[in-house]
Amino acid sequence: MTKHDSKDVADIHTALHSHLPSEPALRVKALESLLVEKGMVDPEAIDAWIEVYTDDIGPKRGAKIVARAWVDASFKARLRENGTEAVKDFGIEQEHLQVVENTADIHNMVVCTLCSCYPTPMLGIPPTWYKMAAYRSRAVRDPRGVLDEFGVQLADDVEVRVWDSTAELRYLVLPQRPAGTEEWDEQKLARLVTRNSMIGTERDLAGRVGEVA
Amino acid sequence: MDSIHDLGGRQGFGAIDVHEAEEAFHEPWEGRLFGLVRAMSRPADWSLDWFRHCRELIEPADYLTRPYYDQWLQAYAAMMVNSGIATVEELASGKAKMPASGLAPPMTASDVDEARKGNGNFEREINEPPLFAVGDIIKVKSDGIPGHTRLPAYARGRRGIVEARHGAHVFPDANAHGEKQAAQLYTVGFDMAELWPEAKGRRERVFLNMWEGYLERD
Repeated sequence: MTKHDSKDVADIHTALHSHLPSEPALRVKALESLLVEKGMVDPEAIDAWIEVYTDDIGPKRGAKIVARAWVDASFKARLRENGTEAVKDFGIEQEHLQVVENTADIHNMVVCTLCSCYPTPMLGIPPTWYKMAAYRSRAVRDPRGVLDEFGVQLADDVEVRVWDSTAELRYLVLPQRPAGTEEWDEQKLARLVTRNSMIGTERDLAGRVGEVA
Repeated sequence: MDSIHDLGGRQGFGAIDVHEAEEAFHEPWEGRLFGLVRAMSRPADWSLDWFRHCRELIEPADYLTRPYYDQWLQAYAAMMVNSGIATVEELASGKAKMPASGLAPPMTASDVDEARKGNGNFEREINEPPLFAVGDIIKVKSDGIPGHTRLPAYARGRRGIVEARHGAHVFPDANAHGEKQAAQLYTVGFDMAELWPEAKGRRERVFLNMWEGYLERD
């Protein structure tokens, strides 16, 4: 029975700090051995989860959604209206999905200042920087400074909208389609779309047009 | 709770690692721990909010310096001890001294395909109608909340506009402490200059999801 007692957990953290093995890899090894012995985990299921997130669930899924929105206005309208329903077209389940669209005047950026909430079914495992203090602290105070660090210079008249994921709503940025791609099909367009452009730490994908073409 | 996890607006954390390699896991142990957490059987009374609270209870120095998945490990280890299914000694040695009773058998590799789908729906029915409407100007309550909360300190006492209503969602402040409650959830937009004095004149806004109890009429 879980006690849900903050003081108890704080005391356990102190004990764990002094007793667990010194290296993260050794701590994980001890934990896995223990849970296998207790019958709480099947190592083959662990392998299967690693495989899913290494090979299958990653930013390529989000890129396909973005490319579809660029070529299909009715899909884009559905995506903006009810993201959860629209991404089912791709076999993706993401409750409470909000797609936020970049325009010439608006730039969107996603953060989770309290932990590490992220649209995982579309983008996979979040980058470490997304989960650590430098990005989480600064994104809601100096987003232009953060963007500059990622090599994005925004004009002063572009409005920055920062989405701090404090609930179970998940945000996906819909970047702008770059010029010079008018004749491209969905598949080719998807190769343009980067992970960071869907988090909002990248903006202009025009620089990639030559590379993908 | 007012601890170091509540990072919004804090200063001095230096540069972002913008050149990090784009791969799911950088070290084998990271993937191992991630997979283990997804695959393990667990007490039915654990929740995402309880996990988040246990992570934010990690000592601040550890929270800021330990790798991300190491924080997961520490949080889950603490949860196991708190729930009586493992001891600190067992976690340190990796050797079982007692059985973990009352748990369902763990998933197998063939269960993963089904388990990977979906993240659950957090919307709930409640009887009380929402107090606020889209377009209302609200003020966030000024007081800190001692237990788990999803109200970041940087928004306390600030004025914003209700941008959207989402119906009632599971209320994390209660759920983290084992109490099933739901409350109306809103998206509230804040001008950056309302949050931080140095932002005057910047075209920047921050949007937060906020439960009704965090808000009062201005």
